[in-house]
Amino acid sequence: MSAVQTSVRRATGHALFWPTTALVVLLVACSVASPGFLDVSVRDGALVGQPVDLLRNSVTPLLLALGMCLVIATGGIDLSVGAVMAISLAVSLTYLDGAADASDPATVVTAVVLGLVLGLAVGAFNGMLVTLLGVQPFIATMILMVAGRGIAMLITEGQITTVTSPPFKALGAGSLLGLPQAVVIGAVVFVVVALVVRRTALGMLLESIGVNRESARLSGVRARSTTWTVYVLAGVLAALAGIVYGAPTMAADANNIGLFFELNAIVVVVLGGTKLDGGRFYLSGLVVGALLLTTIERAVIIFQLPSTTTNLFKAAVLIAICIAASPRARSWVQRRRSTRPEPAPSSAPAKDPSAKELTA
Amino acid sequence: MTTTSSPAGSRPAPAPRDPSSPSLLQRLRRPDVRYLPVAGTLATLVALLVVGQVRYSTARQDFVSMKLISNLLIDNSFLLVLAVGMTFVVLAGGIDLSVGAVVALVGLTVAQLSIAGWPTPVVLVVGVLVGTACGTVIGVLVQHFDVQPFIASLAVLFLARGAATVIGTRSLPIDDPGFSAIASWSLRFGEGRTSWRLNASIFIALGVLAVAYLVLHHTRFGRTVYGLGAADRGHAVGLMGLRAERTRVLVYVISGTCAGIAGLLFAFYTKSGYNLTGVGMELDAIAAVVIGGTLLTGGYGYVLGTGAGVLVYGLIQVLNAREGLDSWWTRVAIGGVLLAFVVLQRVISLKKGPGAAPART
Amino acid sequence: MSTSTTETRADRPATDRPVVQMSGITIDFPGVRALDGVSLRLFPGEVHALMGENGAGKSTLIKALTGVYAIDAGQVLVDGGEVAFAGPSDAQRAGISTVYQEVNLCANLSVAENVMLGHEVRRGPFVDWRATRRRAAEHLARLNLHLDPRSPLESHTIAVQQLVAIARAMVVDAKVLILDEPTSSLDRAEVAELFRVVRQLRDSGVAVLFVSHFMDQVYAISDRMTVLRNGRLVEERLTRDLPRRELISLMIGRSGEELAGVEETARAAIGLHDAGAQPLVSARGLGRQGSVEPFDLDVHRGEILGFAGLLGSGRTEAARLLCGADRPDSGQLDVDGAATRLATPLQALQRGIAYSTEDRKKEGIVGDLTVRENIALALQARRGAWRPVPAKELDAVVDRYMVALNINPKNPNALIRNLSGGNQQKVLLARWLATDPRLLILDEPTRGIDVGAKAEIQRLVVELAQAGMAVLFISSEMDEVLRLSQRVVVMRDRVKVAELVNDETVTTDTVMATIAADPAADPAADPAADPAAPADEPRKGGAA
Repeated sequence: MSAVQTSVRRATGHALFWPTTALVVLLVACSVASPGFLDVSVRDGALVGQPVDLLRNSVTPLLLALGMCLVIATGGIDLSVGAVMAISLAVSLTYLDGAADASDPATVVTAVVLGLVLGLAVGAFNGMLVTLLGVQPFIATMILMVAGRGIAMLITEGQITTVTSPPFKALGAGSLLGLPQAVVIGAVVFVVVALVVRRTALGMLLESIGVNRESARLSGVRARSTTWTVYVLAGVLAALAGIVYGAPTMAADANNIGLFFELNAIVVVVLGGTKLDGGRFYLSGLVVGALLLTTIERAVIIFQLPSTTTNLFKAAVLIAICIAASPRARSWVQRRRSTRPEPAPSSAPAKDPSAKELTA
Repeated sequence: MTTTSSPAGSRPAPAPRDPSSPSLLQRLRRPDVRYLPVAGTLATLVALLVVGQVRYSTARQDFVSMKLISNLLIDNSFLLVLAVGMTFVVLAGGIDLSVGAVVALVGLTVAQLSIAGWPTPVVLVVGVLVGTACGTVIGVLVQHFDVQPFIASLAVLFLARGAATVIGTRSLPIDDPGFSAIASWSLRFGEGRTSWRLNASIFIALGVLAVAYLVLHHTRFGRTVYGLGAADRGHAVGLMGLRAERTRVLVYVISGTCAGIAGLLFAFYTKSGYNLTGVGMELDAIAAVVIGGTLLTGGYGYVLGTGAGVLVYGLIQVLNAREGLDSWWTRVAIGGVLLAFVVLQRVISLKKGPGAAPART
Repeated sequence: MSTSTTETRADRPATDRPVVQMSGITIDFPGVRALDGVSLRLFPGEVHALMGENGAGKSTLIKALTGVYAIDAGQVLVDGGEVAFAGPSDAQRAGISTVYQEVNLCANLSVAENVMLGHEVRRGPFVDWRATRRRAAEHLARLNLHLDPRSPLESHTIAVQQLVAIARAMVVDAKVLILDEPTSSLDRAEVAELFRVVRQLRDSGVAVLFVSHFMDQVYAISDRMTVLRNGRLVEERLTRDLPRRELISLMIGRSGEELAGVEETARAAIGLHDAGAQPLVSARGLGRQGSVEPFDLDVHRGEILGFAGLLGSGRTEAARLLCGADRPDSGQLDVDGAATRLATPLQALQRGIAYSTEDRKKEGIVGDLTVRENIALALQARRGAWRPVPAKELDAVVDRYMVALNINPKNPNALIRNLSGGNQQKVLLARWLATDPRLLILDEPTRGIDVGAKAEIQRLVVELAQAGMAVLFISSEMDEVLRLSQRVVVMRDRVKVAELVNDETVTTDTVMATIAADPAADPAADPAADPAAPADEPRKGGAA
């Protein structure tokens, strides 16, 4: 009996328990409301159906959240990811537009690489502001969140650049091994990043920086360069997300590509069980979070709510999770037996009596 | 040697180590680094005016004129109000990223309500209160739920945008007669080419600025706002027995209310409401505040400086237009100027740091 | 001891009623009794020093008095009436003001605002600045401070800021002024200035409760002392009747004679290093302004070098210069005989210098990570992010140290913040030992941990030195330092005052005398060189 209780508690205590449950419930609800929701069929050698669509739509938020999650782990934030999407797409498409043969694979590769390099430059710029100059991360990245769209407009000269390049379009719309090519790209990138972060010591060092920067520094961690690396990575991933997202339309609309996608990325990160204060992060949670987010967007349509309400839902989810994670909400949940006020006002569970006297 | 000590206090007191009242001359010779950002603001403002005067003055008309100033104020009155509200928040060591979205939400609310035929005064009050409500949500999240200010206000940004999108995704014209009357009322001065005017928005914006100045500099509440921006996240304010919690909530309420008023002014200006207005307007407001010499880390700055910051912003726009450049250049230029001022602030606070910080941190 | 002022102050309480009387104060924190039946009396017109080592309960007692903590048992009387304050502002209204170690004012506001805000003169809703400034200037003048009330607080020295804090405390007509380590960041001239004001307040009838780690200052300023140890009251006595050495024994809890008996083990086990050997680390004139005066130091392989001195004496600051945590602004550091600049802890680590910090919670543990990750951290940091320690190797290291150091619980995946203080300390030791350092700097490694763990750590330190590691051992506990080390460096007031070879002639008595700068045992200490200790301190040899 108690063994059952223990395992139940362990399961519910797992960081992914609630997001996964929410995902399953939502999927079931959708398939009840719209029979055949979960059906997958094969057409022209590719899988089609709602679940495949969900997967494809999850790729962009997943890529953004991947970079965002690592930045958040160090105690930072990157608000520029949406603008970076616009810039990278603008650069790639403008290059294709000017190329002699936009369908030449080599040209397409160059275009994609150009976009990614731009994301890398933006990330390096953000990282420099945050680590070298010590600007607060949200300010540093907000500069490009807004000015970045202006830059994208400069690149496209204020037009919505459209080109025709089947290989480029295939990045977002094509299919590979029966799966949408975007899904394959997302999966490969996710696995590679996850392997790099978790198979090397990078992940642990990031967490140590996010939890206690001074302890990490005194232990010899290169807090500065490690943090910088992460901003660069976030920039590159956002650039890739922009290309994958914009490829099917082949139109670089600098004003609207990636608008408010910072929200998506942040929501995916918190849905995946990572706290916005930094420290412990869960990459596998991002997959669940991204699927959940996409499913919410789809569910709004299925339940015939106005599609304009999705952002409202996302914002509400973000606020709810922030409140649920706050010290006050936690103390509401675990009302203590004693009526005496907490001796140490800090949120850390200070049960070490010696620590209280450190300044005595 | 052990017998000569005198009772405490009768010994001549060592002179205090710092000069008790430096002369004006001394102050001028060694200017306080705190005035550096403001000096930067004024220098930028003057530089822009000089550039404009040199490049765009014609034989018949000077660039720098009352007309220029009244146009600047008319075009940027909503921004001035936003920036004033933002100044409260930034001085208290916080940030409010929601203001642009709130402007859009207020504009749409006002448009929708006046289409529904509500009386104009009620519409205006409701519009402002929508902003107040948004600010209150942020303040409560920050103060009572320990959410970081930028996250809390980001959440409200998306909330307000989401709500605006629900109200409508098309531009709604406002043709309520009462509303139009206020929007188009103005006082005209001068004749012909050099004539200039003051409209209701200017009076409202300048009124907000004046009230903010009085509150920030001449009330206990205002000084508490500055105290909240002091080192250690304003920890000392509570220990000094001042009402830290209430003040921290109130600065966001003020910022939200200002965003509400700015939303009205923007609606006066465009005579419409649209869910995608004000994207990035929060950056403009923050830029005006920062350019105006308020430190982003809080505790230092002047709301009148914010006024100068708004003028700098407006001038950049005007020069941009006179140069015939596309409007997105403004975005990039503002980003660049903001970046420069942020870096300047960091350099100043690094310079100030070692002396002010205790030995072992 | 001759001044009439001090004697009348000290004698008066016998006739006066105490303004504050705390009796039988008991406070329990989860799992630990922080205060156990402590009493404290404060009389008008006296400076009362509250003494005790870290963890003795000094600040808990202050917080009990000012209403920050609710008391579980006992009674607080103010002016004879029982009170129960809900918080500091409540206490302030009853006339009990506190000035903290860190100036708790708003440095960005003006002096006048810092003194008056909350009590400013108003005209309608607005502040009447002219009248407010005048009032502030009056309050400052009462403390003999002549500052421009318009000037920003941060344009003044920390000392003046402290005085402004006192002026603010006095705006509400405080009967009791609590000074919680007000001098820890002041230099000597500044301390003298502060004391002038404190004496003036005392003479006007204020009861001053003074907490400090600086012996000289306590003897210079206080009339009466209350000594706490481990949450209990040990002694309340007039300062002039309590010699320094006895005070230290009371604080530490053992008499000098008693302590002298236990010092064997390491001294016998490890010989003194060869006189001619090249030191592993050698500092010449190494110093950093505002944290530690320039000092010389040699550390040899296979020795345990003890650092004795009270908290705040500069021990930690000196250690931080040796390990790249802080950058020195004067002097030279040689490692293996070659001049070396250690700009970051990583560079020190790469040269085999490891530093286990004093502040375990803020600078040591990474709370949300596991024991295993905490052990691996320094080892991994030295290898860089891209070359992870192979899992097997790491398992072996973690296993080895968890067994060798007897870390409990025996679960490497437990979060370190859930471990007890002693076990956290052992994990931190393991973190550094895993890097196989040549010089291991241990800053208060046994503070706040239980006796068993303490003995284990001490034994380990001796074994490490026997195996050839150099250990720099910093501790407030004299007997521990003497038992372990071959040489002892004594620090006082941020200055290295002595370096003793720990042979039979060195006893806790000698070290305590050196720390106390007691002229009876240490004739070299010249009071004239010490402006913070005016001549009205009690001296055995003085002409009374």
